[in-house]
Amino acid sequence: MEGESKTKAKPGKVGSSREASLKQKSPAEFFSENKNIAGFDNPGKSLYTTVRELVENALDSAESISELPVVEVTIEEISRSKFNNLIGLIERDRIDTALYDDYETEKAREKRLAKEAKEQEKQAKIAASGKKIKEVAKKAAKSRGESAFLKVTCKDNGKGMAHDDIPNMLGRVLSGTKYGLKQTRGKFGLGAKMALIWAKMSTGLPIDVTAATVGQDFCSHCILDIDINKNIPHVHLHEKQENSSKWHGAEIQVTIEGNWTTYRSKIISYMRQMAVITPYAEFLFKYVTESQDKNMTIRFRRRTDVMPPAPAETKYHPSAVDLLLIKRLIAETSKQTLVQFLQHDFTSISKSHAERLIGEMGSEFSPKMAVKSLTDQHIVRIHQLFRQAKFDEPSGECLSPAGEYNLRLGIIKELHPDMVATHEGSPQVFEGHPFIVEAGVSIGGRDVKPGLNIFRFANRIPLLFEQGGDVVTRTAMKRINWNNYKIKENQDKVGVFVSIVSTKIPFKGTGKEYIGDDIEEIASAVKSAIQQCCGQLKAKIIRQQAAWDKQERKRTLAKYIPGVSRALYDTLLTMIENDQSKRRKYGEEFDELVQKVSSHEITEATIKQKLTQHVDQMDMEMALEYATQSGMVEAAREAVFLNCLDDKQTFVVDLKSPVCVFRLFSGFGV
Amino acid sequence: MATIRALCRAEQEAKVEPRSLADLNLPHAFKEVADLSSNSVVTEIEKCILAAAKSILAGHGFGFNVPSRSSANQIYVPEIDRIVLKDKSSVREFANSSSVRKTAITTRVLQLIHQLCIKQIHVTKRDLFYTDVKLFQDQGQSDAVLDDVSCMLGCTRSSLNVVASEKGVVVGRLIFTEDGDRIDCTKMGVGGKAIPPNIDKVGDMESDALFILLVEKDAAFMRLAEDRFYNRFPCVIVTAKGQPDVATRLFLRKMKMDLKLPVFGLVDSDPYGLKILSVYMSGSKNMSYDSYNLTTPDIKWLGVRPSDLNKYKIPEQCRLPMTDQDIKTGKDMLEEDFIKKDPKWYAELELMVKTKEKAEIQALSSFGFQYLSEVYLPMKLQEKDWI
Repeated sequence: MEGESKTKAKPGKVGSSREASLKQKSPAEFFSENKNIAGFDNPGKSLYTTVRELVENALDSAESISELPVVEVTIEEISRSKFNNLIGLIERDRIDTALYDDYETEKAREKRLAKEAKEQEKQAKIAASGKKIKEVAKKAAKSRGESAFLKVTCKDNGKGMAHDDIPNMLGRVLSGTKYGLKQTRGKFGLGAKMALIWAKMSTGLPIDVTAATVGQDFCSHCILDIDINKNIPHVHLHEKQENSSKWHGAEIQVTIEGNWTTYRSKIISYMRQMAVITPYAEFLFKYVTESQDKNMTIRFRRRTDVMPPAPAETKYHPSAVDLLLIKRLIAETSKQTLVQFLQHDFTSISKSHAERLIGEMGSEFSPKMAVKSLTDQHIVRIHQLFRQAKFDEPSGECLSPAGEYNLRLGIIKELHPDMVATHEGSPQVFEGHPFIVEAGVSIGGRDVKPGLNIFRFANRIPLLFEQGGDVVTRTAMKRINWNNYKIKENQDKVGVFVSIVSTKIPFKGTGKEYIGDDIEEIASAVKSAIQQCCGQLKAKIIRQQAAWDKQERKRTLAKYIPGVSRALYDTLLTMIENDQSKRRKYGEEFDELVQKVSSHEITEATIKQKLTQHVDQMDMEMALEYATQSGMVEAAREAVFLNCLDDKQTFVVDLKSPVCVFRLFSGFGV
Repeated sequence: MATIRALCRAEQEAKVEPRSLADLNLPHAFKEVADLSSNSVVTEIEKCILAAAKSILAGHGFGFNVPSRSSANQIYVPEIDRIVLKDKSSVREFANSSSVRKTAITTRVLQLIHQLCIKQIHVTKRDLFYTDVKLFQDQGQSDAVLDDVSCMLGCTRSSLNVVASEKGVVVGRLIFTEDGDRIDCTKMGVGGKAIPPNIDKVGDMESDALFILLVEKDAAFMRLAEDRFYNRFPCVIVTAKGQPDVATRLFLRKMKMDLKLPVFGLVDSDPYGLKILSVYMSGSKNMSYDSYNLTTPDIKWLGVRPSDLNKYKIPEQCRLPMTDQDIKTGKDMLEEDFIKKDPKWYAELELMVKTKEKAEIQALSSFGFQYLSEVYLPMKLQEKDWI
């Protein structure tokens, strides 16, 4: 890491020097040196992380003002010459070609030519032997790993940013608004800032921001970058522009070094999974490049306008705090006395409970003592008691799960499965933090591979990396007996969706890309949620199977009629021929039959016809029986939401009936 | 030798007790089959076919009444010491998507057997399968239906003129005729005589042996045959190379019934070896409908018994730890009536499960390759060490 950051360091950056002198590092410096923690390991991953941070910020911003999110992401590839133009660098031809990495020495060329000749010979041989010639994959002129300069733009319809706050909100690391205890999308509170640092490191270009708050009649336009050493914003341009369309939201544009080729599929599946878990948002994703054929535009349509409530900020549970956190809470509290502090700054502590706790702490403590006067020893004592005492579990009210309805719609919208089942578990607790597990299981669908396809979400963002160790993957692969639910885990196209929301997601690994499998509470909640879904599916699958059987029965039976008729008739014939001399007695009941067969009155065709008749009749009886048994329910009912074609319409009245809800537009005299 | 002679004499003098089910007055009805002549089999098949044809022509479709061979329909009867089939049966309807396939196969098998019995020829199970591969799909299916047909018609599988390919081998002081040819099992080299799949053609058994030695494994059989063990101790040595097939079981029963010799079992000291002994003695679940003809009562367990491991100081490196599966099988067997009825057998199996050690017959080779034939067996026989 050290080496990498050194090579990429821009002039003026001193953080990576290894001088012995004591030096203070700014947070920005720290992150620039440890990019991998925040997901900027390599150009490909950096592009992915930039996109996701911007998208997640955009969603948060729109949801915070209860606006249905519309997010537009554009990635534009910039060629080197265009880039140089951009920064005012003159394109220079290579003079000393041997200086460059891709220079081919004399020896290497000889080797290559020899190799190519050999290859050709081989090809000729293969062609001569009449075998199919396999097209040798031509080495692309540009290798896959080649990174390029990419301009990433993300536009949302969120709350925007106040004009004067923009430089500080974006140009200062760890200065976010997301530091309370609350279910949040962001993982570090770095968001766009990290992308900005990466932009500065890789291209040196500043970030371009346009923002407007709700009801503001101007837009703020700001071009800034970050002074990494001092962790302060460095503003190039900060101006107000006209905002005639009353737009609100933010548009952030960064130019970074990235790799589209290697991470294309990851970015697209990220967008797609985001669309699954956020079906109330509209996403537009564009990739623009100079060569037309590589351009792509994907629109993920809004499928519902039911938005989960914004997660509420909550207080810490006594069992989830450490010494430092208690100190911080004391520093920040507005309460005067210890008893008020305990009662109001923590969940699950009532007034009487607080008094009992204080009594337990010892004689030096009293309910009325000033909370700010607590010494370090006092705090240690409080901490110890928090660890030992028993508290009510925190409630899950502060959480905002996607909701079964939304998850279901999201799955249907993006995967178009044949069947889907969803389940929302009840709130549970791990180390003082409440969590809710929601799961969905789908069968069949578009672009789904046969086998288990696992989609993981944490606090409503998709997790794409390090799938192997994740609690969801492991549970689905090892602890669910799919056969029990009539699901063939290797043949069926199974989609497993698990979304975990919590005030603190117990991520594992530096990249925060997976949730460990060692937490029993979460593992069992995940298992039971998936099982619930499977249980629902089982009934559907059985019903479907029965319907299929009904259709197939006649065909299956008919298949065996000719063989059986022939076997029966041939046996009868053999028997009669063989019998001429001996005349066995079979009883009178069969005499007529024997007679008719020997006189060829009954032939194979007769038997076949009679058997077919019987099968037809049975089939009709069974069908009737099946219909009376299952009634009209051919498949379970599915909730349907019809999207409004025109966003600008407002609704006045909901007319509700047991079957559906009509929403009336305003402006029709209602 | 004197002891064995005494045992042999006792065996020959003992009266054969009646072992028929009918005499027992048991609360259940049972399904038993009997050897039928080809003619009666033909008649039975014709009855079935006529009934089916009549039912079809009357517009009722058709079906066969097939006795159930599931384990729920089987019972071990301690009085006669074998597994028998109860009389539960089900109708295999053609017009039912779950049973149509089996009904079609049954019809075809009936037709094929009808032909065999009329022509009086024998074929193997494999032959039967190949006559209509497309319908049968795999041999397991035609084999299963063959057993169903045996039950349905109430005859043994050999009466259907279908035999399994040869598996068992016999060597030693035995002379018998097979289809008129006189066979002397002392002159069969070290490989032994293959046990004929068609027991009907075996007859005129003569022997001056004092006992029959039943060996689980081919390797031990070879050792004994090569060392001409039957010349030192006049005996007949039989193996089925693992789980016994029908022919070997029929042959053993015939020997025991005709020659009235005691039978000793030499099997591995593991649950599987004991299982093999149980199949010889009380029959397998698969063939329980014909347990009367297939079982040989009163086999003595000579070795290798779990208690032998310490008694003969079999070295540690030759003992194997039992796998979880082995232990489970062992524990399950402790619950079976076949083991429970004899406290000595029960104690041996209990010891095996307790020590969690098993050993193969070959473990004895650690004392020398001929230890089995020159020390172990003679010592066992001299000490009357059988249970």
